[in-house]
Amino acid sequence: MDVITTDDKQQTLDKGRLKSSLLPFSFLTRKTAKLLGIILILFFFVLPIGKLLYLSIKVETGFSFSHYIELLQQVRFWKTLENTFIIVIASTVLSLIMGIIAAWIMAYTNIKHKKLLHLLILLSFVLPSYVLTLSWSSFMGTQGLIASFLQLFHSEAKPWSMYSMGGIIFVMGIHHFPLVYLFTVNVLKRIPRDLEWAAKASGAGRIKNFTQIILPLALPGITAGGLLVFLASLDNFGIPAFLGTPVNISVLSTLIYEEIIGFGPSAFARGASLSVLLGLIAVAGTMLQWLSVRKSKTDDTARLDSQPRYDLGKHRLWINPLLWSSLIFITIVPLFSMISLSLKKAYGRPLSMNNVTLENYKYILFNNPKIWQSIQNSLMLALSTLIICLIVGSLFAYIRVRKPSKLIQFAELAISIPYTLPGIVFALSMILVWMEPIPGWNPGIYGTTSMLFIAYVCRFLILQIRAGVTAFMQVDTSMDEAARISGASPWRKWVSILLPLLLPGLLSGAILVFLTALTELTVSALLYSSRSQTIGVTIFSFEQAGDTLYSTALSSLIVFLIVVGTGLLQLIQKLLSRKGVNHEY
Amino acid sequence: MLRKNSVLAVLVSMLIFTGCSSGNQASKQTDKVEEAVNSSSTSISGQLSFYTSQPEEDATKLVQAFNKKYPDVSVETFRSGTEEVTAKLQAEKQAGQVQADVLLLADAVTFESLKSQNLLAAYKSPEREQIADELMDSDGMYTGTKVIATIIAANTDKVSTLPTSWQILTTEEAKDAAIMPSPLYSGAAAYNIGVFSRTDGFGWEFIEKLKVNNMSVIKGNGAVLKSVASGEKNYGIVVDYMVAREKAKGSPIDLSYPEEGVPIITEPIGIIENTDNIDAAKAFVDFVLSEDGQKLAAEIGYTPVREGVAPPEGLKGISDLTLLSGDIAILTNEREADKKQFTELFGN
Repeated sequence: MDVITTDDKQQTLDKGRLKSSLLPFSFLTRKTAKLLGIILILFFFVLPIGKLLYLSIKVETGFSFSHYIELLQQVRFWKTLENTFIIVIASTVLSLIMGIIAAWIMAYTNIKHKKLLHLLILLSFVLPSYVLTLSWSSFMGTQGLIASFLQLFHSEAKPWSMYSMGGIIFVMGIHHFPLVYLFTVNVLKRIPRDLEWAAKASGAGRIKNFTQIILPLALPGITAGGLLVFLASLDNFGIPAFLGTPVNISVLSTLIYEEIIGFGPSAFARGASLSVLLGLIAVAGTMLQWLSVRKSKTDDTARLDSQPRYDLGKHRLWINPLLWSSLIFITIVPLFSMISLSLKKAYGRPLSMNNVTLENYKYILFNNPKIWQSIQNSLMLALSTLIICLIVGSLFAYIRVRKPSKLIQFAELAISIPYTLPGIVFALSMILVWMEPIPGWNPGIYGTTSMLFIAYVCRFLILQIRAGVTAFMQVDTSMDEAARISGASPWRKWVSILLPLLLPGLLSGAILVFLTALTELTVSALLYSSRSQTIGVTIFSFEQAGDTLYSTALSSLIVFLIVVGTGLLQLIQKLLSRKGVNHEY
Repeated sequence: MLRKNSVLAVLVSMLIFTGCSSGNQASKQTDKVEEAVNSSSTSISGQLSFYTSQPEEDATKLVQAFNKKYPDVSVETFRSGTEEVTAKLQAEKQAGQVQADVLLLADAVTFESLKSQNLLAAYKSPEREQIADELMDSDGMYTGTKVIATIIAANTDKVSTLPTSWQILTTEEAKDAAIMPSPLYSGAAAYNIGVFSRTDGFGWEFIEKLKVNNMSVIKGNGAVLKSVASGEKNYGIVVDYMVAREKAKGSPIDLSYPEEGVPIITEPIGIIENTDNIDAAKAFVDFVLSEDGQKLAAEIGYTPVREGVAPPEGLKGISDLTLLSGDIAILTNEREADKKQFTELFGN
């Protein structure tokens, strides 16, 4: 499984380069460092899975695979597996198509208001999936807008039900497509335009140009995004639980949840067995992604080129409205329905002058100190997770691209598993590990904020690594060499050459980590304590208690904060951006 | 060669750095034990870990009221769905030590299963004198804290007369227009299926008729409430207090107690076996069942479990309710089978 593109000659060059590349850690000899790295990865990423595996084969009398055999004999299991495959693959394809189209338009055309569009695209990932689900199901419901529209034509007409395979695939697809977009847009911008000119000069048409030049070169980004979407869809619980349960469509994540909350001593073991199977599927997906990028090439110019390449000209007339209306349809409509709900006095009455109020916001902002506390906790947690993931993930990605080895590949697999397991399973495995990491030693981490922090880093590190790998694969080693030959010190090389080139890619990963951690729910719901309540848990608590008005008010507030935050970030980037280096992400 | 793997070294040191936690928790355990030893019956103090499935706000109010009386007890609350709390307890048990001291969860069946795993400690609070026998465990392992009836909710914009019987859900009037919570996700719903399927005049036939009538099944009680309040459905099977509260806010929704009777859950409270602060745990249980604690429950909007405390506006008190109930042992043992049967029935 030799994956990466660098040939032997470059590898030898790399070795020389790494020697001089970094920092005062030389007192650690190579072997110890390696060993420590292995131990830490085993402890943080493999041990939780190991515990699950152990639970799934442990029975009263010793060990047996009886749980697995029992599973494989159930008709329901196979049905679930089939559903899972259909839903995950179809929604991944949908996300890929939408993500690539959006990225192409944003990277290459002279469409207007790119900044705003960029925000809009991100929004559908930022909105908690249950908000998206809720608004779509009401929008398409028998009382919704679509239904009343259809009834104009035919009194019996009913909209397409969201409570179906199609509905689940659709909502998952639109929820995850920004992942593909984020991973693809920078990659597209880096593809030198002279390649296209050359192809055009040789008589290739636009389609051929796209399939023969753009697509192969953009493959690392596209597949990295696609893989993450695949993993995220595997683990997504909210959407299938809400849209699938009423019509008895179960997928692996909901089946695992139902097993785990079932009674009886073997419930846990059955859930663990299912989780192990789910983990295997994730590993297979990751391997597939490796195979697909084997042939991709980096190119030696790695400048971000944000200048539009295609003048939409007369096409702008239809592309512009189409793009805007679809984005508005995907995010603004649900968002609007959420915000309008949060302004109501009573649920179920239409929004009118006598049913409008700011009470819900007042309650959220002033009457409940716990809410501020939870916003602060989530911000702190997301920020520290971002920082650690950015540093560790980027370094890991650097080694993964420049010094590929079997070991580092195995490490990447191990690191990707926590992201795939359903949140409830991952959280339970964290409890199993961290209450007594070493028999007889309780470090007192369980039940504190540190527990959440460790869980977030373990779960989201892969996001940063994927973004990092994509970024590094785009920067050719010749850049390193050029810097060295010109006599730049390692420090100088990083600061002046590599970081500016890598930063956009690394930052888009960091933003993903931050946003995911900020509204994380499933893991927090089991690991939080009263001192470390998070935003997700607070929203979930309101929702469970039937306080929809509060939960939508808080969700709207969070979306508002994110929009403001992203705006600030862009401002900072503008101030930071240097000549010739464009920091747009 | 020395610095070849310095990158790895940095990675390693970073990971170590993340592993360093900022907790001064390690000493907590010993503190707990010491405090438990030092505490006399007059001054109750120390840490109390409280796991509950109550809504956040209710749990907060309860702890605040308790702290007015016992200011020296620091209560750590963990709140989630009953199933999540149970899963967390199981994981803690697997890892070697249950962290909770007091539990307050949805229904008696959940407590029965915890009881059968020897996770609970017996405590017969003196306050139990004022509570009906059928609302608590005779061995003292758990005691009901409120009465939550499952009723029929109706959207008043869509329905002119409130139903008086459960059977309306099997008639033409409710065809395609009724909704209920899934027993796979809601403890109360699972309990209801167990009770209905074993009650004369209902049985699995009744549940089959619901299916034939195209009853929708959704994740939880909150979702049922929203569906009926928004008029997406006309009728819903749902817990009473949510409907009363939403009605009071002005939503077009009302509740009806069918004349055949209603299944109730009691949100019992229980103490974990081997808790390291038994005095505080007992004090907490006593407080919840006391007159003050019960008045607080009524203020929040629940029917109190204690005789002599008036129910909130819009809800029936325990003495006015006709109950549908079943043998708790059977319901507990058969719960998984009931869920399975329900899944098969509604799956086709």
